[in-house]
Amino acid sequence: MSMGWKAIHRWLGLTLGALALVLGLSGALLTVDPVQQAWQAPGAAGDLPVATVVERVERTIQGIEELRRLPSGVVAVHAFDGDQARAVRIDPTDGAILGPYQPSALPRWVKNLHRQLLLGDAGRWGAAATALAMLVLSLSGLVLLLRRMGGWRHVAGRVRGTLAQRVHVVSGRIVLAVLLLSSATALYMSATTLGLVALDAEPEPEVASVVNGQPDIAGARIALLQQVRLKDLRALNFPDATDPEDAWKLNTRQGETWLDRYSGEVLATQPASTAQRLYDWALLLHAGEGAWWTWAVLLGLTGASIPLFWVSGLLIWWRARQDRPRITNNSPLAQADMLIFVASESGSTWGFAEALHSALIGAGHRVHSAPLERFGLGPAARQVFVLAATYGEGQAPAHAGGALARIAALPVGRVPVTVLGFGDRQFPAYCAYAEQVDSMLRERGWPVLLPLERIHQQSAQQFALWGEALAAALGEPLTLDLRPRLPATTALRLVSRQDYAGREGQPAAILRFTWPARSARERLHGRGLARFDAGDLIAIVPPGSPVPRYYSLASGSADGFVEICVRYLPGGLCSTWLLGLQPGDQVPAFIRENPGFALPASRRPVLLIGAGTGVAPLAGFIRRNERRVPMHLWFGARDPARDYYFRPEIERWQEEGRVASVQTAFSRVPDGGGYVQDALRRDAERVRQLVSQGALVRVCGSRPMAHGVAETLDQILAALRLSVAQLKARGRYAEDVF
Amino acid sequence: MNKKPALTALAAACVLALPALAQSRTVTLTTQLKNYGGDGAYLAVYLTDAKGAYAGTLWVAGGKTKYYKHLADWNRLSAGDAKRLAGVTGASVGAGRKLTVTADLADALIDAGYEIHVDAAVEDMRDSPSEIRVPLTSAGAGKAQAGKQYIQAFTYQLQ
Repeated sequence: MSMGWKAIHRWLGLTLGALALVLGLSGALLTVDPVQQAWQAPGAAGDLPVATVVERVERTIQGIEELRRLPSGVVAVHAFDGDQARAVRIDPTDGAILGPYQPSALPRWVKNLHRQLLLGDAGRWGAAATALAMLVLSLSGLVLLLRRMGGWRHVAGRVRGTLAQRVHVVSGRIVLAVLLLSSATALYMSATTLGLVALDAEPEPEVASVVNGQPDIAGARIALLQQVRLKDLRALNFPDATDPEDAWKLNTRQGETWLDRYSGEVLATQPASTAQRLYDWALLLHAGEGAWWTWAVLLGLTGASIPLFWVSGLLIWWRARQDRPRITNNSPLAQADMLIFVASESGSTWGFAEALHSALIGAGHRVHSAPLERFGLGPAARQVFVLAATYGEGQAPAHAGGALARIAALPVGRVPVTVLGFGDRQFPAYCAYAEQVDSMLRERGWPVLLPLERIHQQSAQQFALWGEALAAALGEPLTLDLRPRLPATTALRLVSRQDYAGREGQPAAILRFTWPARSARERLHGRGLARFDAGDLIAIVPPGSPVPRYYSLASGSADGFVEICVRYLPGGLCSTWLLGLQPGDQVPAFIRENPGFALPASRRPVLLIGAGTGVAPLAGFIRRNERRVPMHLWFGARDPARDYYFRPEIERWQEEGRVASVQTAFSRVPDGGGYVQDALRRDAERVRQLVSQGALVRVCGSRPMAHGVAETLDQILAALRLSVAQLKARGRYAEDVF
Repeated sequence: MNKKPALTALAAACVLALPALAQSRTVTLTTQLKNYGGDGAYLAVYLTDAKGAYAGTLWVAGGKTKYYKHLADWNRLSAGDAKRLAGVTGASVGAGRKLTVTADLADALIDAGYEIHVDAAVEDMRDSPSEIRVPLTSAGAGKAQAGKQYIQAFTYQLQ
């Protein structure tokens, strides 16, 4: 169904979105009435008996026909003054006239536009269809929202992506419930108007007051009117002066009651039908006409937000269309001997598919590439490759949701199927989807050419190694020429550098860049440098290489600069180039999100553990700790004179309370404290205390360092019967390793 | 709603021919609405007999049955008439417009204590049951009667 929901959402939005826009905006305008009426309504008088109100109103107004209490609390009186009909608002506490009553301040066409698109009865069907579309859009939107955010638990989390995506998701998160309710109630009201649901259970009873020579009873003396409170009143119709058999008619939420004009006795009652009560609720929720004027405001804002959805949705669709993979020389399935099936979330996996595709063509094969959900074998097939990315917590990419079940249902073929997984080791569900596909194929007994291989962070090197293994297995020369599908880069300009001696022969520097200002158009399309936070990665593409290098960010967009900490690696193309830069030089770069590592907004204490240049993202977290969340830093370096990065800043942040405690360990000076693990061990008691308070842990450094820290923490936490693996599974522990 | 003020809705209704008396006359009923500044009006034109009992529906303007309860007198009196809408419904009548309908009525109904009623209702405005109530007589033909809420003039012509 995954494919289904996304397709439904997209196509309904594209086709009926424009109509929804009209209904949303006109609906927003219509909420002006209930809000305005709520302003006009006099204060609390709801507990007054209706009889008292009748008595007071009759003192000021002659010839009353009807007394009506609107859901907003406004009390309106319709009367005949001689020949002249009048409608006034009154104050029920003293019967004083407050002013003329007008049902609506808006032109009638606004309502007609909202209900029938100004097209008469045909338009009512159109409006109902739009309401249905809106309901389906809201439901599919909810499914897609949950999938994107990784379930209900994370639904309030930070939204990533282009501005259009963020606008779409964030506003959806806020107004989705209201939209669902509005469209469902609209459908019910349409059904009553179009005659699909009958509101009246039975016709009104025949009633007549019993004429016996008595004078009319005063309204104030009628027992029932003394019992009913104003807040329960809908309308009270007074008997017609010229018709001796006419009766009082009392309308409340429960139904209607007729009262004899001479005796005040009940002549007949008719309870409201269930359909009518439902309708009353639907109207209240849909139109916001009631005591809750705040609800009307919310409804209005929701209606007004629809243009936002529509425009951002169109932009998202347009962007995805342009990013669609374009495979050249794709043979039909029936003729191809090499088949490639791809499950890709953002499209990056298609870049690898393209490389494999053209390498196989170069080796003289006929190749067919298709999305994974179209998995199947042609008569000429000799090898099948599945390239699968993993999304969120181990789900399939959105388009390939049903693929697993589909493949499992196919008869087992004789053609080997080789799976290549793409993912990120930082996530517990690293390549989980590829593993699912692979183990399903193996269990079903499909042959295999190469065992499952996992590619970390789109590593070109790993992919090239896999290509060599593939060439050997096929017995053919094969050159995988990966041209990564890189996002557009932005030219960053170096504004300052802070040099450190670093290790022997390996100097380092903290580099600070700025980016060119983005126009509104670029923001909307997600062009230019994306928004980023400390802990995200910046990809830098050095001259002479198509493959970007990733650095952890020590700053966020809010800081107004890009800051990284770079250490010289002997022979390293990118670090050599970066460390040779002078202020003013430019660097092509783009942002790569690192959502598992970013800190969620919470008051929990945070343990920041870093070594060497790995302190950079941790420094970034501290820098933006405006809320003074208790952050504790353990920092391991070699020599305070050579590689204590960010030292002056860290000392200042500690004075400002942005970091609660700082422990350092220097491994290359006497009595320096050893490694960062040793510092942790010395603080074991405090670490246990913080973790038992629910602390989050972030570790950044080299792979051996991260491994050592995890071992040390496992020892420290054993007393709490906790492990790093458990903390990871609960989303409390994340690593950024290089 | 169409805004042409003088557009006339013409319709023919022939329901009230008593079987025993073949002789009938064509009655033309004209209802001119005021410019009351609201949506199209729902109107029910019907007859009651000398005892005030419902005798038949001549015309109902407005197609949504959901709103018929607002034509309260007609809706109540005609509830037992399963064919009350047969062939006698049309669109609601806009403010300031004129509704003209014709009906074939048995001679025996004229000058026999029968009354013509018009119930009127407009959305978001007050219901006006039996806004018009005039005797069906030869003498009353051609005389305009004003309603108090929505109807500027109601007349009927006998032919």
